Amino acid sequence: MRTIIEKGTFFFQGKFQQLGRLVMDNGKISEVNFASGKAKKPKAATKEKSDTSEKIINCDGKFVLPGFIDAHTHLSLEEEGIGYCDADLNESFGLATPQIRAFDALKMRDKGFKDALSGGITTCMVTPGSANPIGGQACIIKMRGNVAEDSVIKESCGMKLAFGENPKKNYGEQKQFPCTRMGTAAVIREWLMKAQDYSKKKKMKDFKDRDIKLESLLPLLEGKIQARAHAHTADDIITAYRIAQEFNLDLVIDHCTEGHLIAKELGRWKAKTVVGPTLSNRSKAELRNKTFDTVKILLDEGCLVAITTDHPVIPIEALSLSASLCVRHGLEEERAIKAITEYPAAILGLDKRLGKLEVGYDADLVIWTGHPLDARSVAEAVFIEGNRVL
Amino acid sequence: MSILFDNVRVYLGGAFFPGQKVLIEKGKIAAVGSKVLKAVDLTIDGQRKYLIPGLIDAHTHLGLDDHGYGCSGNDLAEQAQPISPHLRPLDGIKMRDRGLDEARRAGVTVCMVCPAPYAPIGGQCSIMKTYGNSADVGLIFEQAGILMSFGEQPKHNFKAQRKFPSSRMGLAAIIRETLMKAQDYFEQKQSKKGVKERLIQMESMVPLFEGKIPIRAHANRVEDIMTAIRLAEEFQLRIVIEHGAEAHLIADILARKKIPVIVGPAIIPYRKTELNEKTFDSARILMDAGVEVALTCDYPGLSIETLRVAAAMAVQYGLDEKRAMMCITETPAKILGIDGRVGQIKKGHDADVALLSGHPLDIRSKIEMLVIDGEIFTF
Repeated sequence: MRTIIEKGTFFFQGKFQQLGRLVMDNGKISEVNFASGKAKKPKAATKEKSDTSEKIINCDGKFVLPGFIDAHTHLSLEEEGIGYCDADLNESFGLATPQIRAFDALKMRDKGFKDALSGGITTCMVTPGSANPIGGQACIIKMRGNVAEDSVIKESCGMKLAFGENPKKNYGEQKQFPCTRMGTAAVIREWLMKAQDYSKKKKMKDFKDRDIKLESLLPLLEGKIQARAHAHTADDIITAYRIAQEFNLDLVIDHCTEGHLIAKELGRWKAKTVVGPTLSNRSKAELRNKTFDTVKILLDEGCLVAITTDHPVIPIEALSLSASLCVRHGLEEERAIKAITEYPAAILGLDKRLGKLEVGYDADLVIWTGHPLDARSVAEAVFIEGNRVL
Repeated sequence: MSILFDNVRVYLGGAFFPGQKVLIEKGKIAAVGSKVLKAVDLTIDGQRKYLIPGLIDAHTHLGLDDHGYGCSGNDLAEQAQPISPHLRPLDGIKMRDRGLDEARRAGVTVCMVCPAPYAPIGGQCSIMKTYGNSADVGLIFEQAGILMSFGEQPKHNFKAQRKFPSSRMGLAAIIRETLMKAQDYFEQKQSKKGVKERLIQMESMVPLFEGKIPIRAHANRVEDIMTAIRLAEEFQLRIVIEHGAEAHLIADILARKKIPVIVGPAIIPYRKTELNEKTFDSARILMDAGVEVALTCDYPGLSIETLRVAAAMAVQYGLDEKRAMMCITETPAKILGIDGRVGQIKKGHDADVALLSGHPLDIRSKIEMLVIDGEIFTF
């Protein structure tokens, strides 16, 4: 089925503009036009029976945006309304657990999925928590489906590495190594080193002694998945960068709370950063310099920046709210929108398919009753790959 | 000894046929029909009562707990070790456990016995008859599957001990790790070099990779069921889902993948989060979609005497009687891979039959006599 959206204000090519029509066909955006006009009939070249029915939605006076993307969440790992007893956020007794996968613990009936849709979010990265220096594999999913397989974009997109207070607190309280930042970095370095040697050993003939932890680290060393470094303070960010350089990793800095203090360095490295949850309180020492200015400062220096809720740390629906608070702190509206659409898509390596209303992109879009950065606006309709999900 | 059941209503192919005779010789069913004529050692006047195949519960912990003897009798699970595929139920079964008497009184002649779901990989599953002075007497298969557990139970067990795995991610990872090791071990064993230093855990996993036995996956939530299936598919192993409180929510997927489900126990309160979607309707929904379903009491999770009640409850919720009976006879036999010898009253099958005072799905009917391998028990 084709769905045609007529009129309305579209976020198109980096700015808000009036478009005539946008056509969604077969899960993709197949046409974007300034002028409205009669639809071209799809060519009847194939004799296969295709569903040629059309649905037209008039969006005059409304806003049409690409589905928002939150590039760092724990959606459904710590299931909402169930509590700690059934949480799967962390594997707290493992130290280095590169083999665990968020994908194996997704709960598709979590209330967070509905909240995400009301917040106009169609894609999320879901990662294990930050209790371990090496925390496990993150996945990327769309907000739909009965089982995790229906939602998946990438089962494994990144390896969670955690710096700073969380891992050292977790193991410190257990009276175990590591209880310092030095120890945390040492654990990460040790396992990456082992994985490097393992990759050589694996090339030997008749190798039949796989180690799942090291197997899981190979894609990271090969650049197939990203290093997702949980780091708040400037020093922790630099440590993450140092290790990434040593092992030639594709690094994304998650949280990046003090990023603005080392903006020049991050800019020089063309750093990929996922900033937030800035709406949370300063509950730890490493959050003392948290500010809504970070996003603008990092963007101005040439970093790639996405805004995150870190759901459920703050509710996922507050993603656009986080973006508008950045606007209040001086960021232009357009870049604030990009920080929850095309920038996270680029950070996740999905910029050829998500984050923009362009021909050939996934038909993930949201119709808003008003400006999306106005908290009073409602996400009236949400489409994922052309199917209406809200 | 030869036995003739005379003038009974026999359950054949989903319906009762009155005025039938059933001849039992050497522990097997020798003939069924209205005109069986043979001199026998014992003729039982059935008085038009109901004769059904012995019931089968495809998921129990029968004999592992010793009813009424507290922790000294409890051999349900090795709780402190996450990976124990080398545990064998036969080494823990107590044949004088009251549960076995109850099983016979309930008409259950065959059961699968496995350890309790406290560990990600909990041990082996054995199939046995519910009689005998030792567990070896009625043993059908000692190694009939490996129990792997997903969801709350194993995770809470290790979380309380402050050990890995304490999350669903950890459970999946440790099972994946073990399967990966076992696959390498299996390939090494197949190769010319072979294996010189055997590992008992890995040896126990070999039949999985030979395709001889399935994974028996304790999983309730959709997510846990899907994780179990994902792992089985990664290693191309057969799988059976145990309990499946939410299985009916993905009936289409289970049907497409041809994965059987042992449903139950449904007659328990919603005491865990993962039971929130539990319903007596799930057998019907699954079977309508084309999934093979057996019902279980999960003894001692529930008294084994409630197996017929579980089937009757499914009827109350809309399942037809014929399919309800299949869920406790033919289908579990099929899932266990023993449908060539039990599950039906059929010439050549084991002489496992129960004589009831009334219809088996009427809870008031009493099982008056039970025969297992030709051995008679009366109640």
